[in-house]
Amino acid sequence: MTEIIKIENLCKSFGDLKAVDDLSFSVKEGELFAFLGVNGAGKSTTISILCKTLKKDSGRIFIDGEDSDLNPNKVRKELGVVFQNSVLDGSLTVKDNLKHRASLYGIVGEEFEKRLKELASLLEFEKFLNRVVGKLSGGQRRKIDVARALLHKPKILILDEPTTGLDPQTRRTMWKVIDGLRKSNKMTVLLTTHYMEEAGDADYVLIIDGGKRVAEGTPIELKNKYTGDYITIYSVTKEQIERLGLPYQEVSGAYRLKVANTWVATNLIIENPELFKDYEITKGKMDDVFLTVTGKKLTEDSEK
Amino acid sequence: MKTFGIILKRNTKLFFKDKGLFFTSLITPLILLVLYATFLSNVYRDSLQMSFPQGVTIPDNLLEGCVAGQLMSSLLAVSCVTVSFCSNMLMVQDKISGARKDFLITPVKRHTLAVGYYLSTTISTLIICVVALTATLIYVSAVGWYLSFTDVLLLLLDVFILVAFGTALSSVINFFLSSQGQISAVGSIVSSCYGFVCGAYMPLSTFSEGLRNTVMFLPGTYGTSLIRNHALSGVFAEMESHLPEQAITAIKDSIDCNIYFFGEKVEMGTAYLVVCVSVALLIGVYILLNLLSAKKDK
Repeated sequence: MTEIIKIENLCKSFGDLKAVDDLSFSVKEGELFAFLGVNGAGKSTTISILCKTLKKDSGRIFIDGEDSDLNPNKVRKELGVVFQNSVLDGSLTVKDNLKHRASLYGIVGEEFEKRLKELASLLEFEKFLNRVVGKLSGGQRRKIDVARALLHKPKILILDEPTTGLDPQTRRTMWKVIDGLRKSNKMTVLLTTHYMEEAGDADYVLIIDGGKRVAEGTPIELKNKYTGDYITIYSVTKEQIERLGLPYQEVSGAYRLKVANTWVATNLIIENPELFKDYEITKGKMDDVFLTVTGKKLTEDSEK
Repeated sequence: MKTFGIILKRNTKLFFKDKGLFFTSLITPLILLVLYATFLSNVYRDSLQMSFPQGVTIPDNLLEGCVAGQLMSSLLAVSCVTVSFCSNMLMVQDKISGARKDFLITPVKRHTLAVGYYLSTTISTLIICVVALTATLIYVSAVGWYLSFTDVLLLLLDVFILVAFGTALSSVINFFLSSQGQISAVGSIVSSCYGFVCGAYMPLSTFSEGLRNTVMFLPGTYGTSLIRNHALSGVFAEMESHLPEQAITAIKDSIDCNIYFFGEKVEMGTAYLVVCVSVALLIGVYILLNLLSAKKDK
């Protein structure tokens, strides 16, 4: 797969504060790339520089092989952005909003009408095309934000905490559409999120802290490297578990043991077959990875 | 071109749909109307009658036409500037709402956005001010009509020039604003002060000499005088058959139809020149600010 985003030695300071400190990474075409970090870690600054709305101090950015400094408008055409908060005009209708934003990409007249029809059908918002954006529910408004980002068929979709505050059903619809577009159009998605299950579904994860890269890899690689495995054993007594001499946690009548890796878990089962009649082995979660590499918890509260 | 048309339509539509912006822009004209209804008309009427030579009277409808002309000129002089400030606040609201960020991630040129704000402000303000002009003309026709067709055309021209001035001035000032607090502060200052410093609420002749000379450095003062001259030229023409020339000149001096720059009478042509040059200079500053901002972000 080709590298569609390549960032080299990116630096940005605000006074004495180094918001982005010599950050380098690349994103492959068609990948779902999760970008994690607490508030102030440098995610939004990196995204703003990527979108050409903020000037960098140094470093280079290549989008689809183009140097973003040399051909900024070509780069802008390749990017679609769903911002953390809706930036559409609340007092205009859905159609008026999309018509205006499409015109900024030169999409007007019949071309716009055709694209609007496609997106309305894809994101299921035909029924509220003529409703004022300010009167839509949070989920409906988010659909329009996504439609706005997809108006010009971008190669890269940047999602800045897109599902924060959405109900599970809208979140699922949104991901269904995005996954479909990734498969059909090889669209690359760069995601920042609070929801660790979303990060866990990514193809690749980059964790930054204090503007620097602290860990990266596929979710499995990160879990293997930074967390252990968990064995949950059912229908055993506390004395039996204590005999194993491993740290454990009581969870709703069962016991959850932490082991270094799957190999250790397998050995434990072989050595104590009488205990393992009803059990499950799970990998550590992305929350554990994040806590291990940054020493901080990535929760909605930490972001606010 | 289609893109530009859609940007213009969006900005203009937003101004008229945003109740906050729209009604705030109407506050100053409304305050003026309330002041007029409560006591300003009496003040204007009494001061006019006091300036007549003893024993001389003029027909009631001529007197009322003169008072209404003052109201019309004050209302238009203030509205052209305050409405343009409110309308142009959209450029600040777009920064606050994040819409501006959304525009800048697109390939649209920054100057297209800047010209879009300028022209949409001009259009919105013109719509409101032409409606205000029409309403005041209807009122004038009811109490005492002395305007010629040329006067009405000249009033339209004055409104257009003053709207261009208000838009250019607000474009430069609003360029630096980026929060709701700043919008409120600038809106309040402009609404409350502009009417005084341009001579719309109180004639400059009532100011101290120092203050009078100071406000003569502000182009808005010349705009007010232009509108007032054209609103009252028919009235003064009619007065010639009732009052001596000296009395008419005294009235013109007292209500700023004649304005003086350090004792020198400012001719109408000069007043037009001052306002037009100010507009050109302010547009130049607005272009420069946009160029510098674009360079800074590159």
